[in-house]
Amino acid sequence: MITLFIASVAVFIILRLLPADPARLILGPLASAAAIQHERIALGLNQPLDVQYFQYLTGFLHGNWGFDYGTGTPVLQEVITRLPASLELGFYAMLSAVVGAVVAAVASVGARSRVVDSVCRAVAFVGLGSPPFWIGLMALVLFAEYLHWLPGPVGRLGVGVSPPPTITHFYTWDALLAGQWGTFANAVEHLVLPALTLALAPFGYIFRLLRHSLLEVSDEDFLLVCQGKGLTRWQALIRHGVPNALLPALTAFGLLVAQLVAGSVLVEAVFNWPGVGQLVVNSVLAREYGVVEAFVILSALAFIVVNLIVDALYVVIDPRLRRPATI
Amino acid sequence: MSLAGWPQSTAASAISQTRTFATVHREASVGFGIIILIAGFSWLGPQIWRPNPLAVSLTNSLLAPSASHPFGTDDVGRDVLARAMSAGQLDILAAIAVTAVGGLVGMTIGAIAGLRGGVTDGTSMRLMDSLLAFPPLILALAVSVALGAGTVSAALGITISTVPFYARLMRSEVLRVKALPYVEAAVASGGRPWRIVSRHILPHTWQVMAIQASSVVGYAVLTLAALGFVGLGVQVPTPEWGTMITAGLQYVLSGQWWMGVFPGVLLLMLVIGCNLVADGLGGGGVAGVMTGSTRGPIE
Repeated sequence: MITLFIASVAVFIILRLLPADPARLILGPLASAAAIQHERIALGLNQPLDVQYFQYLTGFLHGNWGFDYGTGTPVLQEVITRLPASLELGFYAMLSAVVGAVVAAVASVGARSRVVDSVCRAVAFVGLGSPPFWIGLMALVLFAEYLHWLPGPVGRLGVGVSPPPTITHFYTWDALLAGQWGTFANAVEHLVLPALTLALAPFGYIFRLLRHSLLEVSDEDFLLVCQGKGLTRWQALIRHGVPNALLPALTAFGLLVAQLVAGSVLVEAVFNWPGVGQLVVNSVLAREYGVVEAFVILSALAFIVVNLIVDALYVVIDPRLRRPATI
Repeated sequence: MSLAGWPQSTAASAISQTRTFATVHREASVGFGIIILIAGFSWLGPQIWRPNPLAVSLTNSLLAPSASHPFGTDDVGRDVLARAMSAGQLDILAAIAVTAVGGLVGMTIGAIAGLRGGVTDGTSMRLMDSLLAFPPLILALAVSVALGAGTVSAALGITISTVPFYARLMRSEVLRVKALPYVEAAVASGGRPWRIVSRHILPHTWQVMAIQASSVVGYAVLTLAALGFVGLGVQVPTPEWGTMITAGLQYVLSGQWWMGVFPGVLLLMLVIGCNLVADGLGGGGVAGVMTGSTRGPIE
């Protein structure tokens, strides 16, 4: 909690360091000095910094996250409108990253082939090192431009396709629930490239972790016992080795969320995806710093919350941790 | 192998030492090789390839790669190859500067925290934790937004985001070394505190910090390009790989792919090179700056 407090102070200080005067930004360059002074008082800018901070904090807790003067909507509303798009993208990215990493790690360790191992490690390496915006660009060039397999960066659905009735706010789930197969296919089509691009870095990271812990686990005796009882090598590895190996990956979940948040800012810009990341990019370009401020605080909040959840989950998942330490 | 005491020319021994290093640390050597290749491309390239990276020529805009313009030209007719070289110089220098400054600050904080312990340790680590609560890119974004778009503010933002990683790693290293027996012996034999620190503790932290530094360089280049992509960081017309990719993005759907693809390839190669070095030398920070030091090195 203290961490969050310090973090919010840090953000506030950083963003209030702006040389630009918010009042002047709102009123425009032609406003008179009197009008600007009036606006400053209205905004509370003439008060000492600690008072301003307190006002901001209480406002934040009450849901007042600032106002986006460019679009004329409160920041809270904007974020809520855009959040489902980012969540859907992030969900599928995380899903494909985890599934891909598990498959690749099992194949890498189980196949006992240097070729498979080297290929998987190479892909993971590239994923960790590549700029997501460039990968997205390359994917667009290859799959949308030259091969025409997948649509270009037009957002979540094709032009002229209307979204399904809103239940979960995820276009894919809603389309399935409503039975609109065409819309579902369309939404999936538009999800493939952005989600895979966003998934590349987490995939690399999870794969490395999983591979390392799988290697450790595969040496353990209990896998040998399983094989002695009749399981094949693969069955033993998948059913008994993987769950044990997943534990260290769980602790990294918080970091993965951080990666997804940062990555989505870039990927959404490339693919014109109407999510929170795109909001941040547009706000930066339009100098809507209030939005950026809210976003930064929110991402820190999300990171801390996820870590707390992970810590709690860790105790639940690993029964060994529930017993008091004997050492 | 030479016998002790027999003179051997320094050049010959340097070459053979390098060769030994290269065979033992194959991954790191490949990484180094890539980095040197790109550095050479960026600094020696302009000696061979003359066109001015800033020379606008609207009649020559959007030309496909050809003999006279191996990377093609961009939307105002500037030669992409020359811009890529110039951007390379900027990106590499900025990344090294960020890594060095962030490293110095972070290592100092971490060392003081580890050596002093107690309240100093607690407060400085709380501070580092609060910086770590932000995804590094977002933190760098916030700082460069606050200070106004530009190369310096972007570099400052990235530097600030790297400090907590160095600090935490340095602190854990110092704590580890502090507990070693020979440090105890040095204290017992009455060494002055500063002498103990500089001669006994610090030298054993260099290796881990060097590994962290090499992955930070890769991260710094990536983030600088990302900030350029978003519109912060380096401003046009100064060439920088990230801004070149942004410009290229607009034209990718109309078929002029070369503007964005080439800078990205160079960026990718450089970051992979840095990660190979980090990975090959010890793997401490290999999974990226965001991972190695907060949860401990992955062996």
